[in-house]
Amino acid sequence: MESREIRFENVSKFDGEVLGINRVSLAIRPGITGLVGPNGSGKTTLMNLMTGLLRPTRGKVSVLGLSPYDPEHLFRNVGYCTQFDAFPRGTTGFHFIQSFLRIHGFTGAEATRLTEEALIRVKLTEAADRKIAAYSKGMRQRIKLAQAIAHNPGILILDEPLNGLDPMARAEVIALFRELSADGKHVIISSHILHEVDMISDQVIMINGGYVVAEGEIQDVRSEMPEHPIQVLIRCSDPGRLASRLFQMDHVVEAKIQADQKGLLIRTRDADQFYLRLNEAILETGQDIEAVAPADEDVHSVYQYLIGSNGGSTS
Amino acid sequence: MSSGHVQKIKQLPWVLWIRQVQGIILFELRRSLTLRRSPFVYLLALAPLALLSLRLFFPTEQEILDGIGGINVMFAIIFRAFYLRLAVFFGCVGVFMRLFRGDVLEKTLHYYFLTSVRREILVVGKYISGVLLNFIIFGGSVAVAFFLLYLPSGWVTVEEFVFKGPGMGHLFSYVGVTFLACIGYGAVFLLMGLFFRNPIVPASVILGWEYINFLLPPYLKKISVIYYLESLCPVPIPSGPVTILAEPAPFWLAVPGLLGLTLVVLVIAGLKIRQMEISYGEE
Amino acid sequence: MAVYKHSYRRYEGDLTARWQRLLVLPRYAYRGVFQSRFFLIFFVICLIVPLGAALLIYLRHNIGALDLMNIPDDAILPINATFFEWVIQIQGSFAFLLTVFVGPGLVSPDLVNNALPLYLSRPFSRTEYVVGKMSVLMILQSCVTWVPLCVLFLLQASLAEGNWISANTRILVAILLGSAVWILLLSLLAMAISAWVRWKAIAGALMFGVFLVGAGFGETVSALFNTKWGSLFNISSMMQVIWEWLFFGGASETGETVNRLAAGQVPVWSACLALVVIGLCCLFLLSRRIRAYEVVR
Repeated sequence: MESREIRFENVSKFDGEVLGINRVSLAIRPGITGLVGPNGSGKTTLMNLMTGLLRPTRGKVSVLGLSPYDPEHLFRNVGYCTQFDAFPRGTTGFHFIQSFLRIHGFTGAEATRLTEEALIRVKLTEAADRKIAAYSKGMRQRIKLAQAIAHNPGILILDEPLNGLDPMARAEVIALFRELSADGKHVIISSHILHEVDMISDQVIMINGGYVVAEGEIQDVRSEMPEHPIQVLIRCSDPGRLASRLFQMDHVVEAKIQADQKGLLIRTRDADQFYLRLNEAILETGQDIEAVAPADEDVHSVYQYLIGSNGGSTS
Repeated sequence: MSSGHVQKIKQLPWVLWIRQVQGIILFELRRSLTLRRSPFVYLLALAPLALLSLRLFFPTEQEILDGIGGINVMFAIIFRAFYLRLAVFFGCVGVFMRLFRGDVLEKTLHYYFLTSVRREILVVGKYISGVLLNFIIFGGSVAVAFFLLYLPSGWVTVEEFVFKGPGMGHLFSYVGVTFLACIGYGAVFLLMGLFFRNPIVPASVILGWEYINFLLPPYLKKISVIYYLESLCPVPIPSGPVTILAEPAPFWLAVPGLLGLTLVVLVIAGLKIRQMEISYGEE
Repeated sequence: MAVYKHSYRRYEGDLTARWQRLLVLPRYAYRGVFQSRFFLIFFVICLIVPLGAALLIYLRHNIGALDLMNIPDDAILPINATFFEWVIQIQGSFAFLLTVFVGPGLVSPDLVNNALPLYLSRPFSRTEYVVGKMSVLMILQSCVTWVPLCVLFLLQASLAEGNWISANTRILVAILLGSAVWILLLSLLAMAISAWVRWKAIAGALMFGVFLVGAGFGETVSALFNTKWGSLFNISSMMQVIWEWLFFGGASETGETVNRLAAGQVPVWSACLALVVIGLCCLFLLSRRIRAYEVVR
């Protein structure tokens, strides 16, 4: 049966004595996968290994059952938008995309049609006949994206695709990723903007120092970190009374009343027990409840716990 | 070869490969045929034409005395000394070494590697585009130079020699040798561009080797491209006082020899490129 | 109410003297150049001929040593203008090869990586940049041309009898002037090529090309037009003319006047003029490329 996963089996990549990634085993399923980690953590190495631009020192990589070193079959179904901000000199946006479609093996007419479609998708039709050298950073980013999606691949690998895009363009591109993901495609995105990764990813892979430190859906990852108590935010009418009641539970380790006196941030070691007994406490203290929500089940918090920086400066 | 093998070869996606090679050639030629990208190659090809055009207006008395025989020798000297040893050689250095290493330098090679093209097909496509580019420029230059050299002798002489005499054969030989030079040197420099980060040292060694070929003993002459190319030239030239003479290679050895060398080099290049990784930071 | 924290303080310490700033470029360039083991070996090889020449000078003046080795007096070259011209030609070739290895990497990486605006946005002019980069080459070339030759000249002067220096001042002038012309020409050519060719390897090949293709083209001109003036395209040949004139003037070793045009060489003034034209072309090419902004093509 044909595999639907991108698999890394105990993959290591060393460049001389420099570690790229080490003993990585992964299975990436369809949907949007966010790849996060600090600078030099190995995100780009991981993407380059998936696409055959690098060869592993050890281990095996397969993409939907195909070898990354069989470009003839692999790249019919894979598009990769790299971080390299360089283009063949003297080419226009249109010519750039169309030429590489012809190199893919499309006929002239097909290549022209696909180029036009891709340019419409990234909203670059007006600038298509201008030299890429004269494009802005955002336009260069979009033309790379157009080149990666032009042949309608089933797997889209995007290294920092939102870099240089203005807020409008970001929203449009994110919508495009969602659209592609809804079609059952793999979209793998590395980004240093954690709240955007959080917003769009179905699953995340966190990587640090060449090691994968977490993978999966963010709630699952969070629940597997018992050393970090879960935070729950409760918006209620009398947070002081509720806090003193909740402190009677063994697993509640901290309660903070918010500055507006309308909210309470609780840290608990046992989320299941906490939620079971929360209703009881609310009834006992006679609270009007506005909202109860987890406060640290997001990429940013998990990143902080696992990797240690605030996530704002990673890439 | 068994019929099973033949069947397997027939089943290969030849149509797709041909379309991909066409795509690579079109893209490469469009990039490289511009004067801005290859100014020195054009300069090498156009310089002798400018000279020969000047000569149309200032013919010397000597060539009138020497007649067609003298002009034949003069063209043979220009072809061997300038076109073969210098223009085509340096043209190939410029074009073929850049085919892959230039893309690495410009950080654009990954675009090719991320298309659904076998890397061996990429080598073939890029190589053919280099051969075509050089042949269009230098083959064209040789053909025009040929006519420009004979024209001052008068149209009647040109007609007699070129169209009714052996001239056309000479012209085809020279253009053919130019084509073989592009093929032979092209393959060698393509390989160097793949193997060496800075190919200037090996290229200098080859330049030196090809340059001192006339001084080498006959058995060493055979390990050079220029020996086979000069063997195919239709008009012999007077040798210098220090030249070590050797029997020219016969046609049946020279042409298959050069084509064989090219094939071997392309196979090595194909094997090399399969293992190639993208690491622009090291350049 | 806004709070303005004036935490930025401009640098108020000492600056490197203006004339010294351009020396920053060779200082860093040499670190890179001498990291290459290949280059280091080649640089040592460049000094073998002057060492051999020093040995010859010593032997020429040490009859005892010659007797000891059973070498007859006349087997050793006389130490005169011909000897020094011979050494300067060999060392000139080494200077050329040094230029081929080092020159292409001087400007092109700055252009490829858009580093020129970084240099030129500091108190550092285009001229200083060019002179600084050229000094990388000129110092290296000096180390293999006029410096060892001057040492040889002084060695010969110290060992020779009588007023050898005053009788042979022309040799010293020829060494200094001849080296200066060659060094300046090579440096300008290398800089211009490095500024116009983005890839080091192609720039190196082009350096060879300028000399070899120029020579070949010159020969073609001479053959086609039955003239000697084709030599004006041959830089090495022009330099040869200038060196000969500097070492011997219009006369040969025996004192006869030489008609250079008849002997197959162009006159000295034409060779000088051609080299000046080449130098001006290089300066023009450099001025077109060394600028603090990028031209999009």
